[in-house]
Amino acid sequence: MKDPNTVIVQLERISKTFQTRTSFLTGPPKGVVALNRVSFEILRGEIFGLVGESGSGKTTTGRLMVKLETPDSGKLWVDGNDITQIKGRNLKKFRRKVQMIFQDPYQSLNPYLSVFESVSEPLIVHNVGDSKTRKDRVRQSLHAVGLSPPDDLFYRYPHQMSGGQRQRIAIARAMVLEPEFVVADEPTSMLDASIAIHIFNILSELRKKFKVTFLFITHSLAAARYLCDRIAVIYKGEIVETGPAEDIIQNPQHPYTQALIQAHPRFRHAIKRNITRSRRT
Amino acid sequence: MALLAVENLSVGYHTRKGFLKSVQGVSFSLAEGESLGLVGESGCGKTTIGMSLMGLLPENAAVTGGKILFEGTDLLQLSKTEIRQVRWKKIAMIFQAAMNALNPVHRVSEQIAEAILAHHADISEEAALKQVESLFQVVGIPPDRMRDYPHQYSGGMKQRAIIAMALSCNPSLIIADEPTTALDVIVQDQILTAIKDFQKRLNICLIFISHDIAVVADVCDSIGIMFAGQLVEYGNVKDVFDTPMHPYTQTLLASYLTLDKDFVQLNSNPGKIPDLINPTAGCRFSERCALADAACSLNTPEWVEISPTHKALCSRFK
Ligand SMILES: Nc1ncnc2c1ncn2[C@@H]1O[C@H](COP(=O)(O)OP(=O)(O)OP(=O)(O)O)[C@@H](O)[C@H]1O
Ligand SMILES: Nc1ncnc2c1ncn2[C@@H]1O[C@H](COP(=O)(O)OP(=O)(O)OP(=O)(O)O)[C@@H](O)[C@H]1O
Ligand code: SF4
Ligand SMILES: [Mg+2]
Ligand SMILES: [Mg+2]
Repeated sequence: MKDPNTVIVQLERISKTFQTRTSFLTGPPKGVVALNRVSFEILRGEIFGLVGESGSGKTTTGRLMVKLETPDSGKLWVDGNDITQIKGRNLKKFRRKVQMIFQDPYQSLNPYLSVFESVSEPLIVHNVGDSKTRKDRVRQSLHAVGLSPPDDLFYRYPHQMSGGQRQRIAIARAMVLEPEFVVADEPTSMLDASIAIHIFNILSELRKKFKVTFLFITHSLAAARYLCDRIAVIYKGEIVETGPAEDIIQNPQHPYTQALIQAHPRFRHAIKRNITRSRRT
Repeated sequence: MALLAVENLSVGYHTRKGFLKSVQGVSFSLAEGESLGLVGESGCGKTTIGMSLMGLLPENAAVTGGKILFEGTDLLQLSKTEIRQVRWKKIAMIFQAAMNALNPVHRVSEQIAEAILAHHADISEEAALKQVESLFQVVGIPPDRMRDYPHQYSGGMKQRAIIAMALSCNPSLIIADEPTTALDVIVQDQILTAIKDFQKRLNICLIFISHDIAVVADVCDSIGIMFAGQLVEYGNVKDVFDTPMHPYTQTLLASYLTLDKDFVQLNSNPGKIPDLINPTAGCRFSERCALADAACSLNTPEWVEISPTHKALCSRFK
């Protein structure tokens, strides 16, 4: 294990296969290899991007880091703990310091909890503050993700909110405990460009102010470039390149990365011209 | 005649805090085979419009005004039984929450075959499964994953299955609510190409809801930009992108992250969520608008025609 003061997450040859059940008529069970000997490390205080296509194993990697999944083989240290072994009180401590913003807010938010209940739940589970402190923390957290004035939303349920509003509730919920390490799984996929930028800027600020470390999962290289110090490109369960985001975009080595850059949405020329024009005026 | 003409549609929700006016006075129309993109800030009412067209608004919702003319008939006047003849057969929707719409206990292929069988009494089960196979090819799910259960799919694969499901009944209008948000750019590109292709080939009308303005630019003929329940700019895609007039449209374009430009740090502060229970009489964008003056927050902005195919809701152009 490397020094946990500099390396907060360390993966060594992590593999994970899922068994998919098939009936006896259609043959033996097949394994889906989600991750194949994945190794990389995340430095304390950095925003590390994991970029790759749908099904490449990004979410699985994130879930492993917060111990929602166990690897079949390999070593995984988070914040100085070998998390395949961690138990009891250490596990509880770990759960408080490490959070995940789930990819799909339609699935991850409990439909029976109001916004206030959802965001304050982690505080209650971990016995943080009295009810007044908790209320303040919930307010701050909602305000930070651009859901302001927060009190207006306290008693809404997930089905009474738009997709992007739910997504921001999920972010607020993960951040309310002031964690040290956060896996953010496509946290802005449902937000328009200007709110996405706002969220990115908030994450950057949290990193600067409180040294929060992020694993930022995305399929957008442009978003990764905007937010991340370093990125890893994952392809079919294997890391194909790692490095500073700008370097990878300017000088992609792997054909898959090159294809990613090629397919990135761009405006037609006329449109691009116009953005610059409207900026100047 | 337009296949679809939405006239002055207003929809809201009853909430504990009062009546929330989610959509106010929205009008647009689509000729056969045309595609319209609806873009806008989170919570601006895009899904609400889609659900109104499907007749699937939740119980606490109320349509407070307007018409939805589809093939000349006002859908808002139809009975529950009548709207069932339209929903799915003529108007299909790919829901924003689509990834979860798949039933976890049934194989994906069977669910889609079932949807086909439910709407076509004359098709054999075998033929339906064959059709599923070709639909999966369109959206790019490998044949050996067809019989998986939904939880075995990645987010992107689920989304692709849902798109196949919407296509399965040959509708004449498809409302696609953020159909590619869970997809990486490569798959997104493939799916958008597939959507454009079937849309033109089958002459299907498309309402494409997205927060991604570049995606809309790629797919649609016309575009409506929404803010706080209202359309604020509407027109031909080329016109709107060539000369974005509304300050909100300009903000959206300026915040768009691309790989082409050099890296720039952007500023964005959405401020408060617009108050839709007691909306201001003035311009709803005034709190965030760089061009706002005192009059903006007092006077109700009016539509200004920039060209016959392009208009914007902003009082600064008068
Ligand atoms: N519980 C599971 N059972 C079976 N297969 C699974 C399970 N979870 C994930 N998989 C499979 O593992 C692979 C990786 O999935 P994962 O969700 O990590 O991908 P992803 O990179 O997050 O994709 P996306 O961008 O679409 O969310 C996929 O092929 C997926 O179908
Ligand atoms: N069932 C409901 N009850 C009360 N309010 C609701 C309900 N559904 C939506 N709303 C509110 O109505 C407004 C419009 O929501 P809608 O889902 O149409 O937005 P949207 O444009 O689709 O946003 P997004 O891009 O985030 O999905 C939002 O402010 C939302 O909070
Ligand atoms: S009316 Fe005024 S505040 Fe509104 S968009 Fe136009 S300039 Fe900005
Ligand atoms: Mg994922
Ligand atoms: Mg929506």
